Parts: sequence; C-alpha cells; structure tokens
Amino acid sequence: MNLARIAALAHKEWREIVRDRLFLALAFVVPAALMLVFGYGLSLDVEHIPFAVVDHDRSALSRDYTHRFIDSRYFDYRGHVKSERELDPLLADSRIRFAIVVPPKFEENLMAGRPAAVQSLIDGTFPFRASTSKAYVIAINAAFNGELLAAYISRRFGVAPERAAALAQPVRVQLRYLYNQELKSTWSIATALVMLVLMVAPPFLTALGVVREKESGSIYNIYASTVTRGEFLAGKLLPYVGISIVNSLILWALATGLFGVPFKGDPLFFFLSSVIYVTCTTGIGLLASLIVRTQVAAMMLTVVMTIIPSVLYSGLLVPIASMDPQGQFEAHLFPAMYFTDIALGSFLKGVGLEQLWGKALALAIYAAVLWLISFALFHKRPRT
Amino acid sequence: MNSRLTLWWSRLAAMTVKELLQLFRDGFLMFAIVFLFTADIYMTRNVRLELNHATVVVHDADHSAASRELIYRFRPPYFQLGGEIQDSREGQALLDQGQALAVLDIPPYFQRDLQSGRPTDVQVLVDTSNTVLGTLAASYSGQIIGRYGFEAALARMGASEASLDTVPMIQDQHRVWYNPNQNDAWFIPISELLTVITVMAIMLPAAAAVREKERGTIEQLLVSPLTPALILLPKVISMTLVILAGTAISLFLVLVPVFGVPIKGSLPLFFAVTTLYTVATSGLGLYIATLSRNLAQAAMLAIFILMPMVFLSGAWTPPEAMPAGLRETMYLSPLYYFIEMGYGILLKGAGLDVLWDSLLGLTLLGVGIFGIGVRRFRRQFG
Repeated sequence: MNLARIAALAHKEWREIVRDRLFLALAFVVPAALMLVFGYGLSLDVEHIPFAVVDHDRSALSRDYTHRFIDSRYFDYRGHVKSERELDPLLADSRIRFAIVVPPKFEENLMAGRPAAVQSLIDGTFPFRASTSKAYVIAINAAFNGELLAAYISRRFGVAPERAAALAQPVRVQLRYLYNQELKSTWSIATALVMLVLMVAPPFLTALGVVREKESGSIYNIYASTVTRGEFLAGKLLPYVGISIVNSLILWALATGLFGVPFKGDPLFFFLSSVIYVTCTTGIGLLASLIVRTQVAAMMLTVVMTIIPSVLYSGLLVPIASMDPQGQFEAHLFPAMYFTDIALGSFLKGVGLEQLWGKALALAIYAAVLWLISFALFHKRPRT
Repeated sequence: MNSRLTLWWSRLAAMTVKELLQLFRDGFLMFAIVFLFTADIYMTRNVRLELNHATVVVHDADHSAASRELIYRFRPPYFQLGGEIQDSREGQALLDQGQALAVLDIPPYFQRDLQSGRPTDVQVLVDTSNTVLGTLAASYSGQIIGRYGFEAALARMGASEASLDTVPMIQDQHRVWYNPNQNDAWFIPISELLTVITVMAIMLPAAAAVREKERGTIEQLLVSPLTPALILLPKVISMTLVILAGTAISLFLVLVPVFGVPIKGSLPLFFAVTTLYTVATSGLGLYIATLSRNLAQAAMLAIFILMPMVFLSGAWTPPEAMPAGLRETMYLSPLYYFIEMGYGILLKGAGLDVLWDSLLGLTLLGVGIFGIGVRRFRRQFG
C-alpha cells in the first residue's frame, strides 16, 4: 500500500465529486432532508383511531360507557350508526378502523347483576395498530368493570365505596418507563433514523463509483497503471466515507438539536462507531459497484442490499426481539441492527463501550469482511 | 394517413423491443429485479410487528404461592421468563444491556396483603427506548396483572371464574376484520410488494432515460425520425410490462402459496390499478431523468423522492397516524391511493363502488405527474 497513491486517487475522486455540483449538493441535502421529513412525519403513536358506535340500548349507562371511548384521546369519534350492517362500508373504505356495538338490555343486565357482552370490531389491516387498539379497549373495559364491581360489592356487602374499590382492585400496577419516560416516539424514531439514513444514503453515493468507470472505459487507465487493487479501492472509498462522516455529525446535530433527543452516552464512542458503520455502508455500495457491469444494475442491487433490510431488519419499525429465530439470524447478517443498538444505547440509555463493545466489534468485522470480498472480486485483468 | 399510423405503431413496437432486450441482457439487473419481486418478499415471512417472547426478569421479594402464580402468567407468546434476580440493580443492568425488556418487581408480603384485602403494589419497569415494543410490553403486563387482581378479588368474595354469570361485568367480544388472526404475514408482504413496485416504477424509467444521455446514444435517437413520444413511451411501456410480470410472479408464486394471502377482490381490477399506478409513477422517473445529467445524480434524486413516498404513504402507518400538517401532503403521493386500493382489493374484497374516489384521485394525480414528466422530457429530448 502506497499512501501517496491512495491520496492521489482519493483526490481525483474528490475532484470528480466536487465538479458535479448537483451530485455534491445532493450528497449532503438528501440525508438531512430525509431526517427532517421522517422525523416530523413518521409517527408510531397509535392515536386518533377513527371509530363509530352502534348503541342498541340507548340508556344512561350505555351512554356513560360509550363516552369513555368518545372522550379518550386515543379514539376519534365519527358518529353513531343504526345497525351493524351500516358499519361494513365504513370499514371497507377505511373511514373507521374500529367500531363498538352495545347490545340491547345492556343497562338492565348490568344493574341486575348479570354480565353484558359488548362487541368491538377492529380493522386488522395494520396488525400492530389493531393489537394496540385492542389493548386500549381492554384497558377501558377493565376500568369500567372495576367500577361496576366496586359498586356491586358495596351494594351487596354493604361496605363503604372506598373500601369496596380497594376490594375490587387488590393489586395495583405501577408502571415505570425507563429511558424514555414520556414514551415520545420521536425519540425512538429520530435515533433509529440516524441509523436508517446512514444505511441508505452512503451506499447510493458509492454504488456508481467503480461501475461508472467501467461503463465509460476510464477504468482502463487504472488497469494500465501501477496502482494496486487495494490502493484503488481505498482511494475510491475514502471520499465517500468522509462525506458520510460529515453527514453522521449533521444527523446527530439534528437529532439532539431539532428533535430534542437527549444524548446520554459517550460521544467519542458513538463517533467512532459511526465511522465504522459508514465504512460498512459505503462498503456495501462499493461491493455492488464491483459485482455488476452497468450502472442501472448497481442501483437496483443497492436497493436490494440496503433499503429493504434497513426497513425490515434494523429495529426501526419491526422489533428484532420479536422475530422468530430465523428472522433474527437474517437480521444479524445486516449491519443496521448493531448500529440501532449502539444508537439507542448512546442516545437514550447512556451506556458506552463497556456494554456495547460487542456490537461495535461486529460492525468492524463486517467492514473487514466487506473489504476482503471487494478485494477478491476486483481484478486488474478482467476476464471479459 | 393509415400507413403513417402503422409506421408509428411499428416504430413503437421496435423501440419497446429494444428497451426490453437491453433489460434482459443485463444479467445482474434481471437478478436484482427477480430477487426483489420474489426472495425479498419471501424474506418478510419472519417479520412480526407483535410483541413476541419479550424477556421479563423477576425480582420476587415474597416467594409465595401467590407471587409464583402471578409470575407464571408472563408466558409466551408475548412474554418469556428470563429468570430471577436478587436486587433491582441487577435488573437495571440487564435493561441497560438490552438483555431484558421488562423487570417485574413483587413486593414482600404480597400474598398476605392479598389475602387480607389490603391493596398491594406490583412494579413493572419497562425499557421504552423503542416505543413500539415498550408500549406493548407495558400494556400487556398491565393487563396480566389487572386480570390477576380482578380474579383475586372475585375469589375473595367466593366467586370463581365459572360463576362469573352472577357478577355484573362487560364481556369483551373482539372481532378483527379482514385479517382475523391479525396476521402480520398478510400485511407485511403486501406492503413490501407495493414498495417494490414503487421503487421499480421510479428507478427503471429514470435509469433508462439518463443512460441514453450519459452514454451519448441520445444523439442517435435525436437524428432518427423518432418523435419525443416515440423515445419516451417505449421506455414507460417496457418497464410497465416488466413490473406487471414481476407483480404477477410475486402474487402467484409468493403471496398466495407462501403467505396464504386471500385474493378477495377482482384480479383484473388489481392489475388495471397497478398499470395505472406504474405509468403515473414513471412520470416521476422521467422528471428525475430530465433533472440529472448522469446516473449518480439520478440515483440520489430517486431515493430523495422514493423514501418519503414509501414511508409517508400509509405503507407503514395509516393516514390518521400522521401529524396534521403532513396528512394533507399524503394526498399528493400516488402510493397512498395505490395502497388504499391494493389492500382494499386483495384483503377487503372492495370493488369500484367503494374505491372509486381513490381511483379518481390516482387518475388525476397520475395525469398531472405524467404530464409534467412528459412536458419536461419533450423539451429536452425534442
């Protein structure tokens, strides 16, 4: 490895990037813009679920019951309808995602000490939201049941209402949320976005680097020169790694400054991990560029290797812990997951090298393996 | 007149064949396209959006029959027990390292308090650094403990589960529509397919057009007797054909046999809508092609447009989950209408009587986007 030659190649690549004004601008604008759009737009809070009510009872108690849904901030009331049949088109057209059906004699049964069955219809198209909606319904029903039971106990055993309430709810749950006390999904999302954007933008920057030279034929200058394989690849990669490191700092600044995510961990550790991570992701682009012969193919291959795994296997939308073993294995094949843990740990949990060294090491190994594969695939004497 | 029309058609056909040949001869490109439509969608079978075997560790200060009974309710599929810890510091460390998602803390004298009717507090510490998992874990553990308390209260009054008929309470009957088992196995592959279609519909025409500019073959096209429409339409037609073929492969080889997705609605309607969507979106690709001089620029511009379109369209979050200002911008994304109709036709069995407004929206938007793309294209390539 001759450092002067690497520097010369990196300089040449850098000049090419700088002279393509639009590309240079996009290299910095795209990551920041993606961060802004998703940071503001992507919400995983399950709120404002549009719903309708069918009340066959129309009693004081049924009104009291349905108002618990109408007044809840999790549900958006869209009106009463007369029968279940009228719900079908509303659900099919996604005007409502949830409906509650109160049976006839609801009040009469409950007052007489008999149970009453209430039906809730939930649109299952978005399973995560459906299960969360169901959890809200269960919570509202549980609270209502607790009050019914307390009233019943106080009537039947003749004890004071406060005592009856304690009897009806002997175990109280104290939930404490760690790391993100207010359950701000922005915090989780902005942190994960640092990972996502650095997974998508750097490979696309790099992906056309080598194949462009192959297509235009300027690669023959390299073939004919004294530059070795390793020097060529290192020189190619360096400018893109540099751009991506700057981008990682910009993203960090946006996350903490604009979205107010606390940074509790070790800045140096996080910075070094980011450097290793962008080396991995630019390396993916480089690999795609080496395998193929045309630029279009390099683009599509990069899509295959980055966008899809970063969405599915990074923990942004889909928690890794809840995959089955095979899915978890596949997730471990992509670097995104390790960096998600490092980012969440550094931003929200305030842990550093001591807890996260394993993930950083995994990223470093990943980068090294990518480098070796690229080295093995690139030849100065191509067969065709 | 008639012969000119035949000439026009034969030129269109020849150019379309040329585009298709160029595509098919690029082995890696074909591999990537086939991979995206099949293996990539197949890989989503492991992905679940539900809490699944989340590890709970327990600090049990009571060690009684009652506390054990409560602990054993934290069972799969939602939870799994990760063992017992001696003090809360150990729990904190496990949460820090991500080894456990929640810590259940049962106070001393839990059983005694329960039997004497004194209220007792059970503490649950939840890692909410990932809010999706954290909220689910919190709400499920709340449900489990609440249910346990409720049963304990009934038991004290001498009522058992069997004699619940004598207690006034609401019995929940949930019915989940369209996806009765809340099967992620339907939801995720479909949204993945719609995403893949979008990626292709923007990137392939953009690449096909920029390539001509970058390699200089555009000069050949310009001196040929071809009109701009004859340069542009074959690119759109050939890419649409490829995407439709990919969609069919994906639907019949992956979605139906592997995931068991029910096709409740009309298939011709689904493919008609897909065609409309692909043509509309390829307008965006052509627009990108006119902005960029080389593929590197086109690639960056493409993800710049693609990523927000995919994430903010409802493929991952429904419209009502968007913040107020952005919800309106969703109506500008063609993917939003496509998703409404895609899910509607495949899962809900909806027809044109319900979906006509989405179809109208997509058509209007499509005409707009495609019109702008074509206008710019004609000015540059005319």
